[in-house]
Amino acid sequence: MQLGMLNFHSGYNEEASVSETGRPLRCALGMLASDKHNKGLRVIAHLLRDEGVEVIYLGEYNTARTIAQAVVDEDADLLGISAFTGNYVAKLEELMSELRKVGAGDVPVMLGGLIHADDEPTLRAAGVDAVFGPRTGRHDVLDYVRQKQAEVAGAA
Amino acid sequence: MSVSSERVQGAAAEASPGKTIIPPVSLRLSRTATWSNIETKPVYTPGDIDGDYDQKLGNPGEYPFTRGAFPGMYRTRMWTLRNIVGYGTAADTRRGIDMARKAGQAGFNVVPDCVSGVGTDPDHPVMQAEVGLDGCSIACVDDLDVLLDGIDPTETDVAWHYTYNLYPMAVAHARRHGYDLAKLQGSHQPDHLKYNLDGGGDKFMSPALSHRMAIDVIEYAVRHTPKWALGYPQMYNIRERGITPATEIGLGLTIAATTFQDLAERGVSVDEVAPSLAWVSAVDIDVFEEVAKFRALRRMWARMVKERFGGQDPRGMRLRIAVHTSGRSLVYQQPLNNLTRTALETFAAIAGGVQSVEACTYDEPVGIPTHEARELSVRQQLILAHEVGAARTADPFGGSYYVEWLTDKIEAEATAIQADLERRGLVKSVADGYLESIMDEYNLRREEEIQAGERIIIGLNSFVPENEPEPRRFTFDAAPVRDYIKEFTAKKQRRDPVRLGAAMKAVVDALHGGSNTQPAMIEAFSLGATVGEMSGILRLGSGMPYDPYLVLESPFDLERGRYLGEPSQIDG
Repeated sequence: MQLGMLNFHSGYNEEASVSETGRPLRCALGMLASDKHNKGLRVIAHLLRDEGVEVIYLGEYNTARTIAQAVVDEDADLLGISAFTGNYVAKLEELMSELRKVGAGDVPVMLGGLIHADDEPTLRAAGVDAVFGPRTGRHDVLDYVRQKQAEVAGAA
Repeated sequence: MSVSSERVQGAAAEASPGKTIIPPVSLRLSRTATWSNIETKPVYTPGDIDGDYDQKLGNPGEYPFTRGAFPGMYRTRMWTLRNIVGYGTAADTRRGIDMARKAGQAGFNVVPDCVSGVGTDPDHPVMQAEVGLDGCSIACVDDLDVLLDGIDPTETDVAWHYTYNLYPMAVAHARRHGYDLAKLQGSHQPDHLKYNLDGGGDKFMSPALSHRMAIDVIEYAVRHTPKWALGYPQMYNIRERGITPATEIGLGLTIAATTFQDLAERGVSVDEVAPSLAWVSAVDIDVFEEVAKFRALRRMWARMVKERFGGQDPRGMRLRIAVHTSGRSLVYQQPLNNLTRTALETFAAIAGGVQSVEACTYDEPVGIPTHEARELSVRQQLILAHEVGAARTADPFGGSYYVEWLTDKIEAEATAIQADLERRGLVKSVADGYLESIMDEYNLRREEEIQAGERIIIGLNSFVPENEPEPRRFTFDAAPVRDYIKEFTAKKQRRDPVRLGAAMKAVVDALHGGSNTQPAMIEAFSLGATVGEMSGILRLGSGMPYDPYLVLESPFDLERGRYLGEPSQIDG
């Protein structure tokens, strides 16, 4: 399994500023199975790094099992999944199950992408903590992540 | 460098939590730069353009082909209306093709699903829920039998949005049915590097292997199936992933030039290759920029083939272009607006003189197109053809001071980009992440512009509908896919393990020995090899794991050339 660190040209601030009150939030970001439209995921990764989040970029072509294991291995506080193919409900249900199996069931999961509003209740019932569908924007994601940052800093 | 709402100029405000929304102001000029940030003047005059007509433009069908690839353009031959079809099993997609035929569509473009399309079998334990969701599962020659049942590929031209595995399967299919390869029509998209660039990473194919496969198939195809067209370079995916029109040209010409050089080393001249190539492009919403792009592209291609590579055959110098309208330009909110967008994009393609058009449906941002949306998409092209008169004269924007200026400007930018990429090396620029960083920068900049109100997209950051009902979704019965997967697994055991094993060994031997892999691949596919198996052994032969998901072991003993039966799962 590959862990890549994003590589951006100069012009963007690459230094993650550590929160003054505690350790930075560690957020794993990835996509499952054959889903590979990762522009949005990479933009979110950059925005989170600008917020001082330590991003563990898992990229595309992962299985639920490898993502769950990465969450444990990397001690992630938050997991973000981006999904565009139509079976994200089944995939997320499987992911939540794998997370529980490796003892990471309490790590919040946020899901973004082409998520139809009709599916949100099912996703929340499966344990997904936040859903960011096509009608949401960066501020929704950032507000949520800042909240998680505050929780982690507070617990440190 | 985060953008806060304080940076926004004008009347932008956070009207609702989540995004910067531009309050509904009726018509105003929100931007003076093109969509790719080329600044424009209020008016262009004769002083903005220069050069000799014959030298810079030429008539359509004359070098340097700026004004069009053919003398008569659409008066002689209309663009081909090719909208894409692909979902579920081959049988499902075949029904979709028949429906499209009835709605007025002449050409067929088949899209594989993201499972088979990248060389994973539908019965892969991790991928079964993905099969047929976003395209047709085409994983072995039997699938082509179903898809092409009653279709003679020497008479009907099917275009496949599929990379290296498709061509040898198509040839194996033709042989199976006794079709003359010299007459075999169709096209595919041999460039797998785009998958390294559009989110495919290199878990599936290293950039070097991707490029090798493209060279092998192009060499074989131009020699054995002269009527088979190659959609290459395939710039649509990369464009959508995040590059400008100028970069589309610069990178695409780098791909072409590198390919011509590699083929020359094998004794294949540019005159043998270039006539079989058709550039696959995206057309975005900035109409004038796209028209200028197509013109600059044709001119640069012609000059490169003739002056740099010594091409003598005008058919190699005149570039044919196949276009798909930009899916990325479309908006989820108030999707009927996408009919306006796709109509204008299609108009830009026609005014740009392309040879075939695939238009997105208005519900593209939502999911697989519904049949109603597909029908409207076809009607759009018919309206453009019959009512708008978009095809009555070649290069209708030719001579426009703005468009000639913009053509020159895009050419200048593209020239610089091509020089930079060729200096760096194509495969290296993919492998070392340089191209990916260009796309990341583009995407971030685009995102910042949207946030700042410098790029207004109706429905997305302006005139955002409230309380809009959720869109209808395309649904299809998944039961046939499950049955298909079961049969797929079962028939693997009905193959001749010795002959198949030997054929797969021959593929790897060709890969290692530096000879063309196509003959061995054709033979193996004709014996029932699957795309997952073929991609797997190519990976093994290149020192990569058989299965990118690290779940399956190879079912082949490649040393002895044997098929060992169902692949076992790696315990984990």
